[in-house]
Amino acid sequence: MVEELNQESLLEIGKKAVDLALKLGADEAEAYLSYGFENTVKIERNQIIRGLHKIDQGIGVRIAHNKALGFSYTNIFDEQAIQKTVETALKSAKSSKPDENWPGFPSAKRFGNPKKVFDSRIVDLSVEELSSQASLMLDAALGYDKRVFVTDGEMDALFLIHAIVNSNDIEVAGKGTAISCYAATLARENSEVTPICFDYDVSRSYEINPEKVGLNASKMAVSALKAKKIETGNYSAVFTEVSLYLLLYYTLMAAIKADAVQREQSALKGKIGQKVASEVLTIYDDGLFEGGLFTSRFDGEGVPTQKTVLIENGMLRNYLYDCYTASKDKVESTGNAQRGLLTAYLSTPKLEATNFVIEKGTKSNEELLNEIENGVLIGYLQGAHSSNPASGEFSVVATPAWKIENGEIAYSIKGAMLAGNIYDLLLNVSAVGREYRQMDHLVSPWVRTENLKVVGQ
Amino acid sequence: MKDELLKVINSGRSFGADYIDIRGERLSEASFTLKDGRVEAAKEGLQEGASVRVLVNGAWGFASVGSLETKVLIDATRKACSMAKAASLKIKEPVKLYETKSVEDRIEKRPLKNPSEISIEEKLNLLFNFNKVIFDYDARVKSCTIDYLDLSGKSYFMNSDGTYIEQDKLYVWSRILATAKEGNILTYGREEIGSTAGFEVFDEQTPEKIGTLIAKRIINQLKAKTPKGGTFPAVIGPNVVGVFVHEAFGHLAEADLTLSGSVLIDKLGKKIASDQVNIFDDGTIPGAFGSFKYDDEGVPTKKTMLIKQGVVVGLMHNRETAAKFNMEPTGNARAQNFRYEPIIRMRNTYMAPGDHTFEELLEGIKFGYYLKSFRGGQANLDGTFQVGIQEAYEIIDGELGASVRNASISGNTLEALFKVDAVGKDFELWPGRCGKGGQTAFICDGGPHVRVKEVLIGGGA
Repeated sequence: MVEELNQESLLEIGKKAVDLALKLGADEAEAYLSYGFENTVKIERNQIIRGLHKIDQGIGVRIAHNKALGFSYTNIFDEQAIQKTVETALKSAKSSKPDENWPGFPSAKRFGNPKKVFDSRIVDLSVEELSSQASLMLDAALGYDKRVFVTDGEMDALFLIHAIVNSNDIEVAGKGTAISCYAATLARENSEVTPICFDYDVSRSYEINPEKVGLNASKMAVSALKAKKIETGNYSAVFTEVSLYLLLYYTLMAAIKADAVQREQSALKGKIGQKVASEVLTIYDDGLFEGGLFTSRFDGEGVPTQKTVLIENGMLRNYLYDCYTASKDKVESTGNAQRGLLTAYLSTPKLEATNFVIEKGTKSNEELLNEIENGVLIGYLQGAHSSNPASGEFSVVATPAWKIENGEIAYSIKGAMLAGNIYDLLLNVSAVGREYRQMDHLVSPWVRTENLKVVGQ
Repeated sequence: MKDELLKVINSGRSFGADYIDIRGERLSEASFTLKDGRVEAAKEGLQEGASVRVLVNGAWGFASVGSLETKVLIDATRKACSMAKAASLKIKEPVKLYETKSVEDRIEKRPLKNPSEISIEEKLNLLFNFNKVIFDYDARVKSCTIDYLDLSGKSYFMNSDGTYIEQDKLYVWSRILATAKEGNILTYGREEIGSTAGFEVFDEQTPEKIGTLIAKRIINQLKAKTPKGGTFPAVIGPNVVGVFVHEAFGHLAEADLTLSGSVLIDKLGKKIASDQVNIFDDGTIPGAFGSFKYDDEGVPTKKTMLIKQGVVVGLMHNRETAAKFNMEPTGNARAQNFRYEPIIRMRNTYMAPGDHTFEELLEGIKFGYYLKSFRGGQANLDGTFQVGIQEAYEIIDGELGASVRNASISGNTLEALFKVDAVGKDFELWPGRCGKGGQTAFICDGGPHVRVKEVLIGGGA
């Protein structure tokens, strides 16, 4: 196998590539390197059935020449291949068109020190242990109720090293781990099949509870049985962090990027300092969030990550920036250029949220539900990716979802559609829970909103 | 390559594998993003790697590495076997593979215009032309993002059943996205172009044709109203029929998902659609974005009939599900690249045309919707589907009326397919990309215009 790579050896390879680029006549150069592996044990149809091992490493080289950018990558770490990669990036830059607004690569700054991003127990975790953890999850799911069927699930351990070197003296590397599991279930009774339900757990440290995940996934599936239709009308609605993430990712999280704002693709343009959400909402992006899935010392351009307040008590305060968009607005990058995980070297940086945090409130999940007379609890959304990111309009199916009557979950709902605009929904938020969970980029408690239009069949 | 791979296959046997396959790839890629006429970066890259897949004690093991060296592949094989052993500890139903005929073949691509021989300048010029057509259409066009990708290379497949296949890979793809704004109204539209034939696809899907289509759509949408929520009759365009067939039916007919509890599990041989409905998944259409000769298990691709006159007659299989159902494998096992395992994916999926004209489909609808172009879609195993619509119109007394924006349709597949009461005689196939299990596959979907008696429309706010 490729000999073990570490932070120092990646930086060394990166420095050589950058030096070579300058020697060949590049104005500026940057090398982004990654190395890592991932072990996964997968469950399919009630049994553990496969084990996967992936190892990946490579270098991506960005070169600026006469204000035009070229990029090339390779996953072959020998001198010849790296030389060719540098040459290709330079050739591409020369063939491309100059961009007068190109601000240059960033210069070195002080980096923060995020906590809880690496745990050697995850690196050393044996496949047998991974498999037995998956088994605990599966047994917990199947043991709960015999109407439950585990469609799929997995237990996954990931180890990554990233490093970046550029010709403006940036030279930084970092390592991280993550362990995650999920169980997807459905329940069957007579001729009824529930939609897929799932629960998950994820952590940068070896601290997850697969048994709880299996149990919760099964409980959810059973509670989705005996679904009924719902009357069309306006309801109070509680979003879990999963359904909220799906809704926000394709609307607010797209519109709050400076790129979308500058290019007239965002309803948030010109709204800094204005009210765009209910005063109970404070939202920030935090690349240093303790134990966050997207927590890292530096972003995909080598800029230190930071905490950026985006919405404060309902008022819009800031957008998300990378170096290019920041230079256009004459501000500093917020450290939101992202590169990906195992295959980070394959792509150029992309403006994206890190850990998008909805600040927690004071209510428990039970309290959020108890205060509702007539409402819905939304577990998952289908079709969120078909939302209009520019206007924030969405029209999606809520499944699974539950009817709430007099503060209690009354029954599960079949085929209800939610339609509206994300900004109306955010203005109507009435309460925020107090229990954080991370779903991909979103760190959020459950959130309750009022007066949401639900279309029944 | 063949001799080297054979050494790896033999090593797998010595590590205890009952079955082993190797998929090696050398891939080169060029890609660009143009944002409002600005090139983000001109990107070109090379990569090589392989994955080894084994069966040990009835469980799968898989390992992928960024190398084609024999010694590295033998190490990966050892790793794959230990992964399989760890996964097999509590196996209840061991995996079996459908026996297939071994094949030795070499497939070469001969594009009219090979993207790897076209200069960066020429590719960028094409994108600038798209950009110009769209911005020149109307001053209310505010942004335009164009992505371009071409991918070419070679794959080498060998398994322990004696199959060896070398296959050229070639994909050309572009996505054009634009927005318009007037007052507080923001509209958004997109199209994709994709081909496995070559760069010549842009001679047909020209900047003038596709650029104008999108620009016109987003400008018309500025005056559009949001739909009423509720159940209405509808005429559905080929583009939306395609995504409906793909999402609402196709995924349920992927045999792995059928086994995982999709509502089709007990529907083989049963009627789930009206008589007019015939559905195929076809990997043999020349140049189409979802076409190829052999799948990533070395099984030849086919034209697979899924629904015949409303009755489910087939599913899409890999060798594992084919053995479970005791049906022929259909050649649907596909992997995004050497980093991934092959899983059951669609190819070009469509509803076959019938005999009505578009006007006949509109006839007799007092009030309903014409759903012309989709924005996205998704389905659940229980048959609940959602398709978001980027271009729609009202139908009033059999005639097309005002533009409608932010519509989407939903329902349950098993009910919706029965509501198809007339099928048009036209036919279009649209390229797209489909995500499943963290992998992206290039596909097409399509069909004719179709009328449904009623469908649930999710209204605007």
